[in-house]
Amino acid sequence: MAYQIIKAGINLYAILKNLEELIGLDSKCQELIKGKTLSVQFLVKNGPKAWLSFKNGQCLVGQGRLKSASIKLWFTSPEHLNKMFDGKANPIPLKGFTKLGFLKNEFTQITKILEYYLKPEEVEKPSKEYIKINTQFTLTVAAFALPEIARYDKKANITASHTRNGKIQLQVLPDGPSVYIVIKDGELVANKGVTENPDAIMEMSNFETANAFLNGKSNPFKAIASGEVMIKGQIPMLDNLSLILDKVNQYVS
Amino acid sequence: MKTYTYHKSQELFKKAADIIPCGIYGHFSPAPLIPVTDYPFYVEKAEGSRFWDIDGNEFIDYMCAYGPMVLGYNNPTVDAAADAQRKKANCASGPAEVMVELAQEMVDTIPIADWAFFAKNGADMTTFSLMIARAHTGRDKIIRLKGGYHGTAPWSQSPDHHGITFNDAKDIIVGEWNNYEALEKYVHANKGKIAGIISTPYHHPTFADSEYPDEGYWQKVENLCKNEGILLIIDDVRAGFRMDMGGSNEFFGFKPDLIAFCKAIGNGYPISSLVGTKDVLSAASNVFHTGSYWFSAEPMAAALATIREMKKTNSVQKMFDIGTKLNSGLIDLAKDHGYTMKITGHPSMASYRLVDDPSLVLHQKWCGEATKRGAYFTSHHNWFVSAAHTNEDIELTLKIADEAFKAIKNNTK
Repeated sequence: MAYQIIKAGINLYAILKNLEELIGLDSKCQELIKGKTLSVQFLVKNGPKAWLSFKNGQCLVGQGRLKSASIKLWFTSPEHLNKMFDGKANPIPLKGFTKLGFLKNEFTQITKILEYYLKPEEVEKPSKEYIKINTQFTLTVAAFALPEIARYDKKANITASHTRNGKIQLQVLPDGPSVYIVIKDGELVANKGVTENPDAIMEMSNFETANAFLNGKSNPFKAIASGEVMIKGQIPMLDNLSLILDKVNQYVS
Repeated sequence: MKTYTYHKSQELFKKAADIIPCGIYGHFSPAPLIPVTDYPFYVEKAEGSRFWDIDGNEFIDYMCAYGPMVLGYNNPTVDAAADAQRKKANCASGPAEVMVELAQEMVDTIPIADWAFFAKNGADMTTFSLMIARAHTGRDKIIRLKGGYHGTAPWSQSPDHHGITFNDAKDIIVGEWNNYEALEKYVHANKGKIAGIISTPYHHPTFADSEYPDEGYWQKVENLCKNEGILLIIDDVRAGFRMDMGGSNEFFGFKPDLIAFCKAIGNGYPISSLVGTKDVLSAASNVFHTGSYWFSAEPMAAALATIREMKKTNSVQKMFDIGTKLNSGLIDLAKDHGYTMKITGHPSMASYRLVDDPSLVLHQKWCGEATKRGAYFTSHHNWFVSAAHTNEDIELTLKIADEAFKAIKNNTK
């Protein structure tokens, strides 16, 4: 059960979170949502709740309930939601029947583009631009997956409870994407951007290094020992984060 | 002052990382050496208080191989004893006479010891101590304290670590250092089930200040163990023979049932020891515990020579004095530069922290700047001094530390 809840949380909170940037980065996506103003609520019985909002050519993704969403989708279980993400089940629409065409057409195309950017192994000779986007999205997925894993995975929950309160910054240098994790009393919250006075820092020297490191394509010990990936500050916080991060692949399809 | 570079260390590590897990694993891993580019990874040679890396850089060593080096690298007395024994016999089809001599020396040196057992590493002995406690009491549960390091055996790790299961931790209760009330609660909540309480003599965790026991703490713990039929086990692997030749418990004035020693007893030769009282000799004899190299005679001869030399030259006092001199110099220097250096633990193996930045980044920068100028400081672990460190070493170290303070000041401007 924990597996399905964690996977559902990652699908809604970590994978879909990338739509916020994708819309701004990909011209086809911009075209697909041009002039659209609507919102989608995902409701999972005994599981996570999230919403997407498309307005003024932008996308916002949030956790919880959105007041008066245009489309409401119901899932009977976390497993049901996960099957939909794997293309093996359909949601149960509760509201917005007239707008379901958006989900079947434009939204499906957008998620396919998102999938393309999240699966570098399926891209032959990825361009520099692709590597940048994939790095950014992989970093977001990793960061936003952490709270879900820490909350429901039995071992990760112990790790989180052993981690001191504070903030961990993960950053691609010199001016690449950044995320930070706030830890308080064993609860993790992921955020995009840079925080002031982090307690622990992991800096990846450039996009190429970050991409290889985050996708498990480089030897992490070489990367750290050479300083290409620089860690500093309260290292036990990073050690603990790493224990939880090591589990992300168990839950991401 | 010239700063070091580490091209050969970096190149060798790249090769190693392809063929050795982690490249360099365990406590020698480069990961906590921060900034990593300020540190050497591989040692070419060592002598006295110093080592040279494979790039030819010379360091005054304040990690002392993470503790084993107490009399200095290549100590002639210890090496001569080891060489002589190796020429006679080292790993043979039976133990050498020196094993009994060494056991007698341990028993004569350590007040609580009525017997001594030998192995290779600290964890061999801490694990053995738990087996003895269980055999002696017929109970299963062990209390260890959060942040206390007793090796890497599954029982001593948290079950969320790679390769550790919840079953491994089933009979382990984790208490808190210096919290007698919590310890007493655990004991009473598990009445008749606790076989042993294992702890370091004082708290010396990584990435944190060291902490001495509160006044009367150990005496209360000792009484609790006696009243409840629990064996009190001291893991003196790191602090042993650095605070008191009779065991660090003598420094704090209490009597455990078992003490595990390792690092300092062989001055770098691979040997560890568990000593205990006569009350637990029978249980120690009943537990089957052995290893292929545990009877090697060369390290036993080295350990015998180390202990005798330490007693003869009063090494514990020497290390205390040199550590105290280093500490007062660093506190003054930090103050001169507008920083506050907090030093905790015993002067022979103290922990250091610039408290001006709670994230440790400033302290890490300072340790790195000192290291690349020739004073090998780490920021995550207590340091160690040896009886081979000289006043001249301390004077040069303080000059380097001064330069390092200037460097971090310039970096943060």
